[in-house]
Amino acid sequence: MLNEIGKQIEQSFAGVSAETGGEYRLKVEADKESVLSILGFLKNHSYDHLALISCVDRIEAGQLELVYLLNSYMESDDRYGEREKGTIILKTTVSREDPEIGTAIHVFQNAEPYERELHEMFGIDFDGHPRQIPLFLEKDYAIPPFRKDFDTRDYVEKELESIPAVED
Amino acid sequence: MDRGQLINWLKEPAKMSNKYSLHVVYFCTGCGIIEIPPSITARWDAERFGVKPVATPRQANLFLITGYVSLKTLKPIIRTYEQMPEPKYTVAFGSCPIDGGMYWDSYNTINHLDKFIPVDGYIAGCMPRPESIFVGVTHLWTMIDKGMADGYKRYRENYDRYRSNQEELYGELGWPPLFERDEKNAQ
Repeated sequence: MLNEIGKQIEQSFAGVSAETGGEYRLKVEADKESVLSILGFLKNHSYDHLALISCVDRIEAGQLELVYLLNSYMESDDRYGEREKGTIILKTTVSREDPEIGTAIHVFQNAEPYERELHEMFGIDFDGHPRQIPLFLEKDYAIPPFRKDFDTRDYVEKELESIPAVED
Repeated sequence: MDRGQLINWLKEPAKMSNKYSLHVVYFCTGCGIIEIPPSITARWDAERFGVKPVATPRQANLFLITGYVSLKTLKPIIRTYEQMPEPKYTVAFGSCPIDGGMYWDSYNTINHLDKFIPVDGYIAGCMPRPESIFVGVTHLWTMIDKGMADGYKRYRENYDRYRSNQEELYGELGWPPLFERDEKNAQ
């Protein structure tokens, strides 16, 4: 089943490679332009749970890798009809200097907090996101703190250790 | 009752009552709070030391900082501490509030809690066992007896410096100063 859906994606969209890994697992790599339509396609093919949007900082390649994790938990049965079971990992890359990608909220509404988090932790700009305001952080950081070139030790020395002790 | 303490009860009843009814504000920061449920329930029974969790800071006089202090939690910690009636005692719990612990180079965790609020005592460990909480409490009794647990007085005296440290970390704090600020003492 997963092989079939992988082939369907490869045929329907340009610049996509799909690779199965195990019985219930499929890895799809796509361009950032086609990600949203692939997400819509998968949602209609029983992968209706966006479990997570994550990000990997590929600093050597100068790119940020976005990871969308889609799940489908049930196989076909009488009540819910034609379904399949599995996990699809959808990966795409955006450039590190100008990271921008369309928001997935129109497809999966629960993408909103994930994208807000990625915006503040990695500095990715989600085009069309209704409120990209800070989610967890209290302060502004010059470099988003989850990027690999963010020097935590240097940050602690400059921002926290510089605060004087009140008493001995 | 310990008969040797009788004279203290007659001399300073308020202090003795304070000492034997340490009410802990139920405030969870970080992982250390996992040690509080076993401490207050039947297995270790903190109430035999007079230690008892209460719902609001207005009823409390002991503040256990249980675990690492992130930037987001420090703000409510300061507000909670300022709401507690005097005399109040702060005990930092675990290695993270002492010097950062395993979060020593984190972008989002403060390393030294005593730069922002006064701390009367520390319980080291990661995590401290309930027994060490009681050792800490009995030590705090001794400190109260000797008048050494004076964190709330130090907060009053050095309020300018504490407040300027808090403002250095956050910029605008969003609430007015607790005490009158003496600009001469400010750094």
